[in-house]
Amino acid sequence: MKKFIFALVLLLCICSCKTVDINKAMDITFTALQATEKAARPVSDEEEYYVGRAVAARLFLYYPIYENQELINYINSVGKFVALNSERPFTFGGYHFAILNSEEINAFACPGGIVLITKGMLKLANSEDELAAILAHEIAHVNHRDGINSIKQARWIEALSIIGTTAAKQYGDEDLLKLVNIFEGSIDDILKTLIVNGYSRTQEYAADEKTLQYLAKAGYNPNALINVLERLSLIAKSGGGIIKTHPDTADRIINLKDKMPSVSIDINAFKERTKRFNSFLKS
Amino acid sequence: MKVKFIINLIVLISLISTISWAETVTVITKENAIREFPRFFAPVKAIVKYTDALDVITKEGDWFKVKFKNKIGYIHRTAVEKRTVKASVISLQKKSGTTEDEITLAGKGFNPQVEKAYRNKYPEMKYDLVDKVEKYDISEKDLISFIKAGGLSEPR
Repeated sequence: MKKFIFALVLLLCICSCKTVDINKAMDITFTALQATEKAARPVSDEEEYYVGRAVAARLFLYYPIYENQELINYINSVGKFVALNSERPFTFGGYHFAILNSEEINAFACPGGIVLITKGMLKLANSEDELAAILAHEIAHVNHRDGINSIKQARWIEALSIIGTTAAKQYGDEDLLKLVNIFEGSIDDILKTLIVNGYSRTQEYAADEKTLQYLAKAGYNPNALINVLERLSLIAKSGGGIIKTHPDTADRIINLKDKMPSVSIDINAFKERTKRFNSFLKS
Repeated sequence: MKVKFIINLIVLISLISTISWAETVTVITKENAIREFPRFFAPVKAIVKYTDALDVITKEGDWFKVKFKNKIGYIHRTAVEKRTVKASVISLQKKSGTTEDEITLAGKGFNPQVEKAYRNKYPEMKYDLVDKVEKYDISEKDLISFIKAGGLSEPR
């Protein structure tokens, strides 16, 4: 009996020691979490979603939406399918693809998964595989968080200093005002990148390279991206839109030369896809 | 007596290890599905919402085998995020008065409150169109038909 009581006391000691250790470890973790939050935590998926919505809401001020439900469904089928073949098939709010009623050749990846493509860009594609290539390139920008990464670091650090000091989810008037200003500045940063400056050459090359992988995995012809780029290269520099914000298309094609995945293409399936593409886009 | 003690000891140790170190993941998308098999279009066993906590059983490639409200199935790794241990969070709540949500940052930062204030500041923003675009959806059934008709590969 004495032995049992001794063993029980020992066990309780061990258990309590373990509890203390766990609590201590978690305290350290929590402190580290708070410190990280204040210093350099990245934008969360949920935050990315709200930023992306604001970017899209602003873009719709400059470009009217084009509403043709059958075409919208088709574009969304292609886009959502490509997204499922990407490394990030799920985002907070999901992928949604909309058409802009503009002849400008352009497409925009809003953070979080809203992708806007102009009618002018749709006209550049000659097949479903080429359309998939255009959407895949935008999906790659979403996955790489290129839009979010164009937010000035100082702005985000300032946001974190407010977020980190507020215990509740609801902000007081003063903090809210500051956060809204930072939010607005972040949207400006992204729009400036999307419309004026463009992403860096490295970001564009990375998106092109991922596009090849998504297309190959999905069963589309990765060469479709080269076809689109070649057609794009025929458009004069003065064309604006995507030409203005992207690296030289000839350089982009050269970059992809030794990165083309080897795939076997079913010609009959390709013809079927092109047929349905024409029924939606060439009619 | 000895046997009883050893049994009690084993039960106690396993209980402590289960409570303290059980791995959970938290849903980070608005909504997602727990599926019967580790495939995108496998039958849905349960619908999960943002911040739902799921107990991880195993990891199989890009999929977690999880348990949620007595239902076991698979969820894609990009729909969830590993977060803190439940039991320890309770001790943190008591100590610091914080909640699990605060630890995991859910709802903080750029959130609906910030968006609402931004919209009030700029009522001309076309949020109505954004809401419309977010409703663009393709059913799984239609997407499967689309894939098959185009001779494409079903994603896994």
